[in-house]
Amino acid sequence: MRLPIKSGWLLVLPFLLLVGGLFLGPILNVLWISVTDPAPGFGNYAQLGSSDTLRRILWTTLRVCVICTAFSVILGYSIAYAMVHATGPAQSRMVGLLLISFWISVLVRTFSWLMLLGRNGVVNSGLEALGIITAPIAFMRNELGVLIGMVHYMVPYAVLPIFAAMQSIDARVVQASRSLGGSGAQTFWRIYLPLTKPGVVAASLVVFIINLGFYVIPAVLGGGKVLMVAEYISVQVLITLQWGTAAMLAAILLFGVLALMFIMSRFMKLSTVFGGART
Amino acid sequence: MHDKNFMRETLLQGAQAFQAGKMERRSFLALCGIAGFASASVLAGKAEAAASEIVMWNWGGQSEECHQSAIGVAFTKDTGIPLKFDTSGPLQGKIKEMVDSGHVTADVCDADLFDAVALGKTGHLEALDYSVIDKTKTVDGYALEFGISIILYGYAFMYDTQAYPDGAPASWADFFDTAKFPGQRSLYKWANGSLEAALMADGVEKDKLYPLDIDRAIKKITAIKADTIYWGSGSEAHDMIVNGEVSMGMVWQNRGRSIETETNGRYKLVMNQALAMPGAYIVPKGNPGGADVMKFIATAQSVPAQLDLFACLGMTPTNPEAIAQMAEVDQPYSITSAANMPMIALNDPTWWGENTDAAVNAFLAAIS
Repeated sequence: MRLPIKSGWLLVLPFLLLVGGLFLGPILNVLWISVTDPAPGFGNYAQLGSSDTLRRILWTTLRVCVICTAFSVILGYSIAYAMVHATGPAQSRMVGLLLISFWISVLVRTFSWLMLLGRNGVVNSGLEALGIITAPIAFMRNELGVLIGMVHYMVPYAVLPIFAAMQSIDARVVQASRSLGGSGAQTFWRIYLPLTKPGVVAASLVVFIINLGFYVIPAVLGGGKVLMVAEYISVQVLITLQWGTAAMLAAILLFGVLALMFIMSRFMKLSTVFGGART
Repeated sequence: MHDKNFMRETLLQGAQAFQAGKMERRSFLALCGIAGFASASVLAGKAEAAASEIVMWNWGGQSEECHQSAIGVAFTKDTGIPLKFDTSGPLQGKIKEMVDSGHVTADVCDADLFDAVALGKTGHLEALDYSVIDKTKTVDGYALEFGISIILYGYAFMYDTQAYPDGAPASWADFFDTAKFPGQRSLYKWANGSLEAALMADGVEKDKLYPLDIDRAIKKITAIKADTIYWGSGSEAHDMIVNGEVSMGMVWQNRGRSIETETNGRYKLVMNQALAMPGAYIVPKGNPGGADVMKFIATAQSVPAQLDLFACLGMTPTNPEAIAQMAEVDQPYSITSAANMPMIALNDPTWWGENTDAAVNAFLAAIS
């Protein structure tokens, strides 16, 4: 008997339904809360138009995330470039160091940054002792501190997709470009960089999406002044009990990410980002 | 908390299945081994026997050992019921979610009296049994239908004696005066205490604070925004002061003494115009321990328990007898001591219970 779908799918279907249900169920619940609490309707979404605070928080989140993504990807690209061109034990050491940095907890990093760059931290005390500055530089407890902390956390996430993309580039392509008369800079900008585009796009997407949900680093390193969406949602759920607003903001984040991926799919084949073939 | 809970439930269901003959003995023993539990203690009596204990939901850190030694030991001696802890912090949203889900795992929460007002109104709390608990053993007005204040904590500020060698700041007006007392300050980021401090700095009488004029307070807070950083937890407040990030820091008053000792007296606590907050015990609706929790709360009111909590955690007693028995050397650090009472302002839990969302959101909008 010829089935309209491949029989393999039938084996996977029950499991797929279970995982899909357990995944979609809570998301649908949150969306439901966003349109029913405190009163049915789109009142929570209307708040986006009327509330200055919400717009400001979303703008802060967007701004911090975009800047952090940009710096993380640039730094990640340099690190991946160095890793790809290292050989043997040197490359293994670099990969090892990168992986170890994944395992450092976010709280340890946060407090380490405070100790290094805080008002009485190592850097400021050292500079003051050398007489270079008279008052401590405010690295921490503001947006700069948040960016430093977030970029530090995200660089390893940016390196890996770019490293994977770079490894798939045939080294002879670069040599061919040079032999045809291209300078180093031309080869990089016109040949190498475009070839690594899927990796860069993947890294940017991953870093941006993770950044949107950041809570601890902005809360501690921002001195309470850099209020991002994740912390605001947490306050609405736990302290002010405005679950409708919290659900609405969470839904906005979800739709924003989906919209972003839709826009990107207009410019490139998104499956290459997730490891698919180029053509 | 979730891990322990999950394991406990897995074991209970395993025990029920084993007794019903649906699980082999070996599988059950393997399950107990994985959960790190002696099978005998799970099977003892019926599987429901685990419900005869009182679970206190508090904030972790030292509070677990302090509550056990101050209240748990005496309570278990009197009633034979053990005291267990969940240290994940009973925020309003978590309590509401727990009661809504129908799966209540805590008997008593070490929360705030305004939680009693807010959650009591929406039907998430059990009414307290005042035939067991004594209404007179607490500060006037702090024994409400759904919660009673067992301890007081408070918001006060500490200043750097080295930053202000001549003329120390002595009131909230000084705290908010960046011209006369330059330097960084720290405030609590979730409005409680910070709004009252701003109003007192603006000249409002400490007995006429409520209902709070939020706009007036926000204006004062925005005025010093450039010089202020905000903390969300006790340890953050502590670190900001001890690491020298601020010259004047708002703190929870019970940490004052430890910071003074840790900085060798460099930072001093100012109790003038401190805001006393009633910490309250509240009971989530449908608590597993049943009516026994009322006896627990009554034990917490006893004089030895109150004095022990002060010695261990620095939380000021509310029982007038305990207050009267406090040692001389402790009195400056206790909100309710005879010397401090005239200087402090008392928080109004009813106003906060009804206006938390407006106040906190307005504050967050101003500081971000």
